[in-house]
Formats: sequence, structure tokens, C-alpha cells
Amino acid sequence: MKTIRLSLTTEETVPIEAERISPDQMAGLELDQIKCLEAWLGNRRITLDALFSIQVEGEAQGPESTTIVLEGDFSRVKRVGERMTAGSVIAKGNLGMHAGNNMIGGDIHIMGDAGHWLGREMRGGKIVVDGDAGNYVGAGYRGERCGMRGGDIVIAGSAGAFLGEHLCGGSIRVEGNCGDFPGAANQGGSIFIGGSTHLPGAEMVKGSIIVGGHAHMLPSFVRMEDVEMEGERFVKFSGDLVENGKGEILVAETV
Amino acid sequence: MTEDVLCTFCGCLCDDLRVEVADGRVQKVRGACRLGASKIMGHDRIKTPMIREDGVLREATYDQACARAAQILLKAKRPVLYGWASTSCEADRKGILLAEEVGGVMDTTATVCHGPSILGIEEKGLAGATLGQVKNRADLIIFWGCNPAEAHPRHALRYSSNACGRFTPEGRSGRKVMVVDVRETRSAKNADKFLRLIPGTDYEVISAMRMILGGKADVVPETVAGLPKTQLVETVEIMKNARFGVIFFGLGMTHSRGRYKNVDNALSLVAELNAFTKFVVMAMRGHYNVAGIGQVMACASGYPMSVDYSRGAPYFNPGETTICDLLNRKEADAALVIAADPASNFPRSTVEALAEVPVIQIDPFENPTTLLADVVIPSAIAGVEAEGTAYRMDGMCLRLRKLVDSEFPSDEAILQRIIDNVRRLRA
Amino acid sequence: MIIRGGIVYDPANGIYGEEMDLFIEGGRIAEEAAGPELDASGLLVMPGGVDAHSHIAGTKVNTGRIMRPDDSRMGTEPRNPVCRPCTGYTVPNCYAIGYRYARMGYTTAFEAATPIINARHTHEELEEIPILDKGALTLFGSNWTVLECVRDKDLAKLAAYVAWGLRASRGYGVKIVNPGGGEAWGFGANVKGLYDTVPNFDVIPAEIIESLAKANEMLGLPHSIHLHFNNLGKPGNYTTAIETLDLLKGVQASRMRQVVHIAHMQFSAYGGTGWKDFESKGPAIADYFNRHSHATMDLGMVLFGPATTMTADGPLEYANSRLLHAKWANCDYELEDSSGVVPLVYGRKMPINAIQWAIGLELALMTKDPWKVIMTTDHPNGAPFVNYPEVIALLMSRPKREEEIATVHELVKSRTALPTLEREMDWTDIAVMTRAGPARILGLEDKGHLGKGADGDVAVYNLRPDEIDPSRDHALVKAALAKARYTIKGGTLVARDGEILSAPPGRTYWVDAGVAEADANRLMADLKDKFDRYYSIQISNYMVQDAYISHPNVIRAGLQVREGEDRSSHALAREA
Repeated sequence: MKTIRLSLTTEETVPIEAERISPDQMAGLELDQIKCLEAWLGNRRITLDALFSIQVEGEAQGPESTTIVLEGDFSRVKRVGERMTAGSVIAKGNLGMHAGNNMIGGDIHIMGDAGHWLGREMRGGKIVVDGDAGNYVGAGYRGERCGMRGGDIVIAGSAGAFLGEHLCGGSIRVEGNCGDFPGAANQGGSIFIGGSTHLPGAEMVKGSIIVGGHAHMLPSFVRMEDVEMEGERFVKFSGDLVENGKGEILVAETV
Repeated sequence: MTEDVLCTFCGCLCDDLRVEVADGRVQKVRGACRLGASKIMGHDRIKTPMIREDGVLREATYDQACARAAQILLKAKRPVLYGWASTSCEADRKGILLAEEVGGVMDTTATVCHGPSILGIEEKGLAGATLGQVKNRADLIIFWGCNPAEAHPRHALRYSSNACGRFTPEGRSGRKVMVVDVRETRSAKNADKFLRLIPGTDYEVISAMRMILGGKADVVPETVAGLPKTQLVETVEIMKNARFGVIFFGLGMTHSRGRYKNVDNALSLVAELNAFTKFVVMAMRGHYNVAGIGQVMACASGYPMSVDYSRGAPYFNPGETTICDLLNRKEADAALVIAADPASNFPRSTVEALAEVPVIQIDPFENPTTLLADVVIPSAIAGVEAEGTAYRMDGMCLRLRKLVDSEFPSDEAILQRIIDNVRRLRA
Repeated sequence: MIIRGGIVYDPANGIYGEEMDLFIEGGRIAEEAAGPELDASGLLVMPGGVDAHSHIAGTKVNTGRIMRPDDSRMGTEPRNPVCRPCTGYTVPNCYAIGYRYARMGYTTAFEAATPIINARHTHEELEEIPILDKGALTLFGSNWTVLECVRDKDLAKLAAYVAWGLRASRGYGVKIVNPGGGEAWGFGANVKGLYDTVPNFDVIPAEIIESLAKANEMLGLPHSIHLHFNNLGKPGNYTTAIETLDLLKGVQASRMRQVVHIAHMQFSAYGGTGWKDFESKGPAIADYFNRHSHATMDLGMVLFGPATTMTADGPLEYANSRLLHAKWANCDYELEDSSGVVPLVYGRKMPINAIQWAIGLELALMTKDPWKVIMTTDHPNGAPFVNYPEVIALLMSRPKREEEIATVHELVKSRTALPTLEREMDWTDIAVMTRAGPARILGLEDKGHLGKGADGDVAVYNLRPDEIDPSRDHALVKAALAKARYTIKGGTLVARDGEILSAPPGRTYWVDAGVAEADANRLMADLKDKFDRYYSIQISNYMVQDAYISHPNVIRAGLQVREGEDRSSHALAREA
């Protein structure tokens, strides 16, 4: 097992793009090589060691036995874990936008809050957030029909708007509340929202959304029978009928 | 008298103004609405370039100001170049080149206006037509979340409600005009039908309309967002029975809860209406050339706004590369503001962030943004003192005239000088 | 500049693979020259490529970009000291268009369709495309003035309008798309065929096409009418194609060229009565072209993968969008034409797409005379132009076709003749179909050949035609054509092995045709009335101004300008 620890040494508010911080990118490298990996501070191309202090312990054959630990507030560091296929990323504090973009496997654990576009276009793997997440959790890129296609995202706190927009597969779980329009254009994934939200499943065609709190529903969903799940009563809706959708939404309380 | 002058105020881009020029100055403007007339008549303007030293703006030469601007931009790690909607496309193209060269983020006033409409178009496309199609064919005009009586004063007469055309010889009396809004505006008072929405409910109302249009009215609840279903059924019937319908929409749709989803849904509604009759939709663009900067940026970068050049290739992600988000997160460390007034139009927190970074302002006129500026560069007024290209709200491309000579350089020339300085400093 | 020892294919001048040196002086092919030498020993050399039908500039192209950030993010290339940044695959940005054509050895490309009213936008974008020489074809098939002249059988006034419209739009030729349909679409309808009356105008498409063809020849324009058939994309539409072609058999060409050029023939070579019995009528169409000499075509080849359909055929795009449940943009132009944009993906396992793919190849392989066929993909409708090497490799290699056929939907075997076709094109055929032919069809005298005085546009490919067998080595062919060893434009080396070395601006071709003053006056009276009553812009702001054509190349046509008597459409413009 190889562990790579990074902590931020800069207080710049200009964002950092560091898609090289990923088990796949770092697994086969020595400390000196890791330090020289490319990162961007705004429009300046620099190396990782200009922004982070880095320590390496142990050895690894590949990404699957590589763990990256981020110490401190990484809210301004974007694209960590992008395209990773295996291994772990642990952020002890917050982690910035686009964490786990296009992720294929492995896991990311964010102990603080996650920035916007968490797990954008994810295909596999698992992301766990102890704090809150921003907008566009597990969503797609503008204009694309399909966003997240697989994998799991679990958020202990609350999440922003447009969660799982264009979801095509995989699952997203938010224990707290969720902003407007979760699961818009859902084409087959599952979403669980422990708290409340507004207008879930707009233009949904398949997949499921469960809302443990209250939700204002669209007029294009048809109310079905009530359902019981784990001792709780939910109202079941089918839709979005503007798209002849056969998605399913369970809501504990409609408003 | 110079005929057929283009107005440089709003997205109507009227091109039939008559301007009297004498003694090298604009004396009178005829045919414009009061908004356009006041713009072309002009007012007090910035007399010389200025650079702020010890908190005070001091006179400088163009050379000094352009050199200082280049220094600021080169030093910055995330400069944002903003505005662009009230100058010519030729200036806009120079701006893009400058953004590429300094690795900055290029954003436009659409960001606080019809940016959400662009996002809607990216989801659904847009069934559109030129304004002359509306004039000649439309017998049903719907203004949704906009108030043209006050924001686009000549729209009704030149292009929409009151225009006469080949298939619409009766003008206003041959048409039905409907307004959908959260309060009864002047436009609503002049309409045949007014549908009043509870703020933030546009999306649901449109979904209900799509359901009714699709023959699924019985699934729709008896009341939607406070409106009786019967009223929505009646509205949809009117739409279906039009010979040619059009929805013009504005900030009421883009700025209320739902934002780009509202536009997205409206675009789908219009596409679906085409199964029954001819229907088009159009965004009521605010500034006279905001459509133009969108076209120019799309041609040059693939995207119409919010383009980040910091890594050498265009990256587009509204919410991340939009100026308000950059400022709120304190990501931008310098700004060039041209043909815009963010100090007046932006949310307060972003203005505060703007105040903390070096700001370069290029504009003929002083405005609240000047109070924040560290370098101020006065320019010639596009469409009065400088020629150039502009695009109307429906995408029509027209040429601005030069009416009078000016000692002030054009925006285009100023930007070129800044680019020259950037290259010189880099070498 | 001197290009040494290449194996030159210059079919327009009867050169079919001769080893020779080429000399370029003052930007043109010469008999001798000084300057740097490029070593092309044993390598394939052809004139620079000429794309006669591509959607590269204007409102619908830009709409494609705006509505497809998903496409723009593909093909991203950062800036470098020579090149501006590039984005896009099916809807590339303006810089990518110039560089990517140049990389393939193409030096000229024409925008397939611009409305007159927004030609300024088209030229704004053409100006931004580096390297290429270019032009735009102007839409006339649904304009109110055209419909009325046709209804009134006033050919002289129609010709005056065509001349005026070309000047107003700085256009190169007459483009006709689903004639009459653009107007019908103004109220959401379409025309169903050649003899369907255009609502409110009392004319039929057959009359529109015939009249415009005659007006085109009256003016002696360099290019013939360029026609996108009615009923494009519909099963069984090959009958419309043949009927339309027959209509024009009797028209006299004013120059040594075709009387009609057919756009993207593949989309109009369909049999069957619906999607279930959809089949190729490529052989029937090829047979027609073999038996007649008044028409030429470009292929409009479909390739598997992403595409963005964009056309002035507004009703077609609406139908596409409903069928595919895809995003849809539409723009109808007052008094003129329509347009639509719909993204899609062609799938090799989709029966219809597989048949479409085969039809493009059938048309090329079964039309005997390559001078009648231009190789295109109707970029980006059939496929992005960067895929031209794939098409060429398919045309030259039966084994490659067989490999492909094995992977596509099996209906290709029963609904098309492609599996049976043995013909493999050679370098002469390819040089004709991508250079000499399009230049001649468009009427560009200095393009598509390497005779003395021709523009110094040359492509050298990293291929030894004397050593390789394109049939067997199709992969080499495809790779070599994708990145020219050298691309020379106007005597400047612009690209080498895929790298852009220089990006000078190209020239814009447009046609200035003269007509009799009396006809011009009658036309102007009519136009003034239209501007007063119907247009939403003023006539004085309508014409494309000089500022939008920084490097013009004007071709004169129509009445000769006599000394002291300016009868050109300059006069028309001044009156306006």
C-alpha cells in the first residue's frame, strides 16, 4: 500500500486544477516524479510541489493499492480524482469542484464539503461526502444527453440544485435536503433524498427518486397508490408524462 | 440628415433612425424611442485616460493607460474580460484575442441576462424565426416574463403586436396579444389576455401546458400554481388555433426560480406546438449587441459566453466560468470591463469582490464601475463615432454607421493597443 | 518555390501520375521559379483539394455550435504560436475549419447555403477561417421575389433579382433548397413534390427550378444552379430526383459545364415506401447520370458516428427532430428561406444508416465518369469533413469495403448493390472527384489543376503511388491523406505533416453579374415596395458592405460593362 499525503502550502484564491492528483496518475511514481506533475494555478502552469507539500509512504503495484490523503481545506483544488479507475482519495477537509469527474472505479471520501459537479459523468466507483455537496452532484456536461452512468455517491449532509441531472445509471444518496430539480431528465439511475426538495424528476423517463421529507411535485406526474417502505409511508408518482416517462418517485409528503 | 441609422441601445437594433449631424456633432435624433434617442444624443463623457494612484484617478496618456492595462492583465493569474454587449463585433473579436493571449476568462452581460436562455438552448435547441416573419405572419403574440412597452419600446410597432405585414394587414386588430407575468405591467394592460403567475412557478405552468397540449389534461390537477386548469386549457387552445404563434420571453423567465429550466421547458413547449401549428420563440435580448458577442464567441471558441482560456484552449462551464461565480469565489484577480456596468447590475457581493481587484474600464461614459476602476480608457461611441457590426435579438447581422468623427479611439483600436503591449511585455 | 520529383496527378491537364517538378512563382504555377525547394520524390502530388459543398460559415453553422457545447468540447486543441485555439468535431470553430482542411491538403471550400438577408453573418465567419479560399452559395428557392417572378413568367426580372441577390449577399452561385418548401414552412407546411402548389404564391417547385436554371444561364454565371431536391430524406424520393433532372434536360448551358449540380445526392437516392422497406436506389440514379450529361452531383456520404444535420430544408429538420427526439433549432428568414439544425449519430447497426452509408459509395462507384461526381460528406450532415480520407480509402479498396460491410447491419446486403461492386478507384479518379471535378463544376478556372497560371495550391502526400496498392494498403492511404506531407496555398507552405506552419488569410470569391438597366429598374421598384412593407430592415442596410470581404476575388458575369455605361449591379446597389 502506497500512501501519498498532500497539504496545501499556498493561500492563493485563484483556483488550482490538479487532475493529476489521482491514484492512476501517481501509483507508479516516486516522490520526485510526483512533485513534478503538472498542475495549473489559474493560467500558470506549475508543478505540484509549488502548491503542496508532499509525502510518500510505501510502495504500490498499481492504483488499486494507492491511497491519496489530502490534508487541510482543498476547496479551491479542482478535478481531483478525475478519471480514476481504482484506489482511494481521502480528503480530510473540503474538496473542490469536479472531484471524481469521469470516475471509473476506486473510491473518494470527502470528510468536509464537496464542491460543485461532484462525480460529473461518473461511470463507476464510490464517492462518500461527510459534509454537504454543491450543485450538479453526479450530473453531466452541458448539452449532453447522459451524465453519470454508474457508480455510487453518498452525501451525509445536503446537496445543491440539479442533483443527478441527466442521470443514466448509478445511484446518488443524500441524507439531508436537496436543491431544486433533482433527477432532471433521469434516464435510469436511482436517487434517494432523506430530506426535502422541489420539483424532482423533471422530464424523467426511467429510474427512481425517493424523497424522505417533502417535495412540491410537477403537475405532469400521475399519483399512484401509496407505498410502505421500512415502516414509512410514501406517495408514489409515475412520470414525467411530458416525456411519456415511466420513472417512479416516492415522496413522504407532498406540498 | 443621415438616414437609416442603427440605434445602439436595445436588442431591437432599429435601423430606421434619422440623425441630424452638424458641426461635427449629433444635433437631433428622429424616429427613435426615448431610450435610443438619449443614447445617441449622448451625454457627458470621460475626457482622457486615467490611472489611479494613491486612490485617486489621475490623467494619463493612451500609451500609459494601455501599457498599464497590459501589465495588470499579464500579472493576473485569472483575469476576467467582461462586458462586450454594447460595442461592435470587431471590438469583441479583439477582446477574444486578448483573452487568449493573457489566458483569461471571457464573459458577457448575458451572464446576468439571458445566460439561462443559452443553457436552455443547449438542452433543447430553439425554434426561431427573424422578426420580419413575426411581422408578416404572427396572429398570436405572447410576451412571457418581459415588458416590451418599457424595455423594448418600438418592438410592438416595428416587429410584433402592432406591425402590419403581408399576411397581417390588419396589424393589431388582426392579432391576439397575451402577456404572462407575475404582475400587471404596462404591456399586460395593453394585451388581450393576461395570465398572472405566482412568482417562481413558470416551470410547473409550462409542464401543465405541455400535458394539456399532449392530450393528457385529465392527469393535470385542477389547480396548478394557483391557476385553475380551465384557464390553462383555454390558453393552450388559443395557442393551438393560431395560424402563427410566437412567445417572446425575458428576464421574468430567466431570473425567476428555475432559471434555465424555465427556458428549457418553454423551448420544449414551442417545439411541441409545432405539431399543431407554426410556432416560434425568441429571447428579448437586452443590450443592442449582446447577441453579437454571443455569435462572435461561438464562432471563435465554440461557445457563446463564459469561456475560460487559462489553459490555452476554450473551456466552458457556466456556474464555474461565469463572472459572478468567479467574483463570488474570489477567483478572479483582475478584470477588464468594457461596454458594461457591473457595479450597477451585479449582486452586491460580486461588486465588493470587484472592488478588491485591479479593474480596467474601457467606455465612453463614466458610470458606477468607474469608481472601482484602476485604469480608465475612454473610447469612441460605437454606432456614432465608429463603424462596426452588431446582431439584433433575432440574429440579424447589421452594420453600425459612423456619423461623426471623434478624437477618441475606437474600442477595437484600444484593445489592439493593449494586445500590442501584452506582446511587447512578454517578449 | 519548387516541388521536386513528385508523382503528379493533374487530370484537367491530362497528367496521370507523371514524375515532374512543379514551379510556383508569384503565387501561381509557373514554368520556372526560384525559391525554396520541397522534396517530393516519389510522393503523390495533386492540386489542393476543392470542397464544393460544405457548411462552414453563417447562422446555421454557428447555431450548431451554440446548441452543442457537447460537441465543442471534443477536438479541443490549445493555441500555439501559429494557431488560434480549436474546438469541436462536427461543429468546429472557425479556426479549426481552416487548419483541419489544410492539414488534409484542401485549399478551397465553399459554404453551401446562405440566405441573402443574413449573408453578412456568413461573411463575418468566412473572414475568420484561415488559409482557405472560399465563397458562399446564395439561397433563391423560396424568396418572395423569385416566386412572384416565376408566377408572372418574368425571366428578365428574375435574372435581375438573381444578379442583385448575388451582389447583395456577395454570393458565388444560385443555391436552391427544397424550392417552395422554405416559404410553405413559414406557416408550418411543406411542398410534397415538384407539382405541389406553394401556398399563397400560385407556383410549383418545377417552375421555380426551371426558371432559376434559365436565369442562371441567361446571366452566364460560372456555376450552374446548385440544387437540393424536394422530398429529400424520404423513402421513395429517387423518383423526385429523376423527375427533376428530366425537367432540366432541355436547358441550354451558357458555358462548358453542367446545367444543374445536385447537392448530396445520397439523401435523394432512396427507394421503398417507408422505413420498413427502405432500400437503395443508388444504381438507378447512377444509371441516370451515366445516360445524361446535363447534371453533376456531390455525394453527401454518410459515415458512422456523430454528425450535426444543418440545412435550409427547415421542414426536413423538424421531421428529423421529432423522429429522433433530438434537440432542434430552426430559423426562418423573412421573405427568403428557412433552416434547421439537429444533431444525430449514425449507427452501423441501424438498418437505415447502414443503407445510407452504402448508397454514397454506390453512387460514386457506379457512375462511370468521375467528372460528374464530387466526393463530399455534406459536412457536417453526413460526417465531419476530417473524415474524407475514410471515404477515399473506401472508394479505392474493395477489401476495406468488405471489412466494413461485415460489421454493419445486414440489410446492406439485401437492400443495396454495394457488396457486389468490384470497382476500385484510382488516383486519377480521386484527383478528379476532389480537385479537378469540383473546380470545373463550380467554374473556378484557376483551381483544381496545375497548369501554368493556376493558383499555386498543391498537396503532397506521404504515399508512393508507384509502390503501394491502395486496395490492399487502404490503412496507409487513409493515414496519409489525413495529414499531407506538404500543403501549399498560393505558393506558401501552410502545413507539413499535420502541423500548421503558417495561416495567411484566403480570398472570398463572389460573382458580380450585370443586367439590362430597364430590368434592373423594374426590379428595384418591386424591391423598394417589399422593403417598405414587409422587410424588418431597411434596404440601405441590407447589402453586404465591402468591409466584410477583405480579400475579394470578383468574377464578372452577365452583360458586359460597356465603356462609360455602368450596367453592372453596382448600379443597382447605388440606387438602393
